[in-house]
Amino acid sequence: MAIKKIKIRNFKCFKGLFEIELNKGLNILVGNNETGKSTILEAIHIALTGLYGGRNIRNELSQYLFNKEVVDLYINSVNSGSAWPPPSIIIEIFFDGSIDPEYEGNENSEHDSCEGLKFEITFNEKYNSEYNTLVSKKSMMSIPIEYYEASWTSFARQSVTIRSIPIKSAMIDSSNYRYQNGSDVYISRIVKDLLSPEEVTAVSQAHRKMKDTFIDDDSIKAINKRISSESSIVDGTVSLTVDLGTKNAWESSLVTQLNDVPFGYIGKGAQCVMKTELALTHKSAQHAQIVLLEEPESHLSFSKLNQLIKAIEEKYDDKQIIISTHSSFVANKLGLENLLLLENHQVIRVTELASADFFKKISGYDTLRLILCKKAILVEGDSDELVVQKAYKNNNNNHLPIEDQIDVISVGTSFLRFLELAEALNLNVAVVTDNDGDIDAIERKYANFIKENKKDNIKICYDEVVDTGALTINGKPYNYNTLEPKLLKANGNDLALFNKILGTDFESLDELQKYMKHHKTETALAVFETSEEVAFPEYILEAIKDE
Amino acid sequence: MSNKLIIAAAGSGKTTHLVNEALKVTDGKVIITTYTEANEKEIVKKFYKLNGCVPDNITIQTWFSFLIQHGVKPYQSVIYNGKVKGLLLVNEKSGFRFRGWNGQPVYFGEDDPKNHYFSKSQLIYSDKLSKFVVKANELTDGKVIKRIGKIYSHIFIDEIQDMAGYDLEIIKLLFSLDSNVLLVGDPRQVTYHTHDEAKHKKYTNGNIKEFVENECSELSVDIDDTTLNKTYRNNQPICEFANSIYSNFKPCEYIEHLPTGHDGVFFVSPTDVDAYLSIYQPMQLRDTRRTSVNSMYSAMNLGESKGLTFERVLIYPTSKMLDWMLDHSKEMKPQSKSKFYVGVTRAKHSVAIVFNNKNGITIPGIINFTL
Repeated sequence: MAIKKIKIRNFKCFKGLFEIELNKGLNILVGNNETGKSTILEAIHIALTGLYGGRNIRNELSQYLFNKEVVDLYINSVNSGSAWPPPSIIIEIFFDGSIDPEYEGNENSEHDSCEGLKFEITFNEKYNSEYNTLVSKKSMMSIPIEYYEASWTSFARQSVTIRSIPIKSAMIDSSNYRYQNGSDVYISRIVKDLLSPEEVTAVSQAHRKMKDTFIDDDSIKAINKRISSESSIVDGTVSLTVDLGTKNAWESSLVTQLNDVPFGYIGKGAQCVMKTELALTHKSAQHAQIVLLEEPESHLSFSKLNQLIKAIEEKYDDKQIIISTHSSFVANKLGLENLLLLENHQVIRVTELASADFFKKISGYDTLRLILCKKAILVEGDSDELVVQKAYKNNNNNHLPIEDQIDVISVGTSFLRFLELAEALNLNVAVVTDNDGDIDAIERKYANFIKENKKDNIKICYDEVVDTGALTINGKPYNYNTLEPKLLKANGNDLALFNKILGTDFESLDELQKYMKHHKTETALAVFETSEEVAFPEYILEAIKDE
Repeated sequence: MSNKLIIAAAGSGKTTHLVNEALKVTDGKVIITTYTEANEKEIVKKFYKLNGCVPDNITIQTWFSFLIQHGVKPYQSVIYNGKVKGLLLVNEKSGFRFRGWNGQPVYFGEDDPKNHYFSKSQLIYSDKLSKFVVKANELTDGKVIKRIGKIYSHIFIDEIQDMAGYDLEIIKLLFSLDSNVLLVGDPRQVTYHTHDEAKHKKYTNGNIKEFVENECSELSVDIDDTTLNKTYRNNQPICEFANSIYSNFKPCEYIEHLPTGHDGVFFVSPTDVDAYLSIYQPMQLRDTRRTSVNSMYSAMNLGESKGLTFERVLIYPTSKMLDWMLDHSKEMKPQSKSKFYVGVTRAKHSVAIVFNNKNGITIPGIINFTL
């Protein structure tokens, strides 16, 4: 029992239609800021619970729920005299298989037989005459939200109450919304959902009894007696009592505690873990469960995060979990096959890419680094990585690339596989590679990414000059076209400088070349750590250049 | 899975039986549907009486509201996708378009579904509601009916005798589901007719049993005319008189009643009516509002009295009813027959029939009343 698909229209960052299909169990939403990860979670939560920011959406209707561009287009259309119909927000939830056949019907944007429901914020036609007057003035400033209403209908065209929706959603995010008494709205909801109808009745009865006891208390009686005898202005009896007013009074006056500390006073991290655990342990035969987690890494220490991820992994069972995250740790831990990548309001399932078996060859962790960074610089090995890092640092006020969300990744010989992914997902990537003395071979290898096939997001950087020299090692000619000789060349083959950097005292360039070839890592580390001025080859500078 | 039609005699505790059957269902959902709102309320009342509440898994709905919610709306768009705002009760064929050159009415056809099925204000015509459902079901390969089967494990339909036309087609479709279908009704008490469709014409007027026998023979439907064939309301003479109206039906049984001093069926002369009313206080039952009655005492139409119980009744018969009483070979029209049967079976102790018996005729089963 889960959600199969969500369609969102005109809600917040989604202009027009946005569609996302979900996995039955775990779903990890990744993507840059502003791609709509949180908006998806909010949309699901509103449609299933009617809550937005912990409050009833009916009281929270505002223009800001609508996509700004859509609003602007609409207002312009009204003021230019050719008014568009007032825009609507529509969130459709398609159930996976059968949860409750009463929800089956074809009243959905696909006109297909399916179970599901539709949440709408739409203009209410009963305000037509007021609206027409407003439109005719052609001076609209904002959406006439006072004529809008929020409504839920099943795909069977039947209006539904939130209580009867067969999927229950729990949202766990860093913010927390409190009742007046400090009790957290979400936790109260989760706790309440945990209770069976009989238990709910028992709690409210006990609550009522508590209030009755209060009124019956001798001291209260005495006080009431005194008040009524002293008040002579009012006709009738004045007394002190407890408000038994609302149906669910107990919900707002009960407080959840952890180790005798009210929930609101425990740490954010613990709150988050506790909410998640409660939501995960909640068992219900009639209802499908969905847990929404917004960026759990943002308010958890590493160990708490680890604990949380472990709880999710072990306990999600038949619940559907949707997590938005920036953390490659979270995503990697929970499995790449569950990854949904958001990019330009499109959803890409990593598993659906052409090179599906690609993932069997490359570690998931490296893939995620590629996906989650702003820009990746791909290099062959560790020594290249250190040199590129150093070059970046020197040119960017001593920032490491990672501080600017630029990730330098050693990929060995799998350049092309990474590029395939980068191409499919439109990721920013620069490749730093040796030319190995054969420009033709390099150009053949990267033919899909250079010259007339050049992609905006992919840069292939190599030295276009083939260097030669007299040095031979064990009878074979020395390769002058790898990182070390190119680095040496960029510094004018300055023997003294490199002796200083490496802490060596070679007397000839050839000896230095030999040493560097056989001690690549030491060389790279020394270059990375040196405080000497070092120049870098042009093709490396090209790779780190900021567009 | 089982399909069953129970022929229930008047006063046999039909609603009680239905409610008890529904209360037995603990695993699955039950829909109880009936033609009239009055009977819907009656069923709800019975639940409160027998159970204290209507359980969560039981829904009680009128037939029209059931058809709109589960028959029309889920797949409405295969025929017409506008908003359905409700139901328009019609007494004559709906969808009138214009009068032809010879004054003949011309109607909107199925090729114009909006006007064929719906009024200008988007209300669906009551006479075409069940047709819409059957057509929508055809166009969706049976999804409409299957969906109902997925929701309800038990489908109970009360007052089954009021079903006609495409309603019967829907009932046949429901029989094909895995759900348990229970139909209850008294074919002798047909009073409401909203359909005048050509569909299944021969099964109107209470021929539900024949419909089941002839049209649903492959769907294994049990016909039960014993479970609810005993009246708790009418005493022996009333029961026997009522049985004589429908002599082709299995005679209804009765239980012993304590005598009240005035028990049975009586002819009361028009000149004695006022005195009779004052002594016995019967409910006056008339054919229509046009029938004159003594306005000092309460009165209602025969058709409206369906489902009700009175200690005593006084019936103002139509001439056709009298003709039949005097000579059983003079058959009443189905509608009159049914109304008369309904009127007679309302009373516990006595049924008085207003008749100016100038010649002092004696009819078996009827006592000539004298002051």
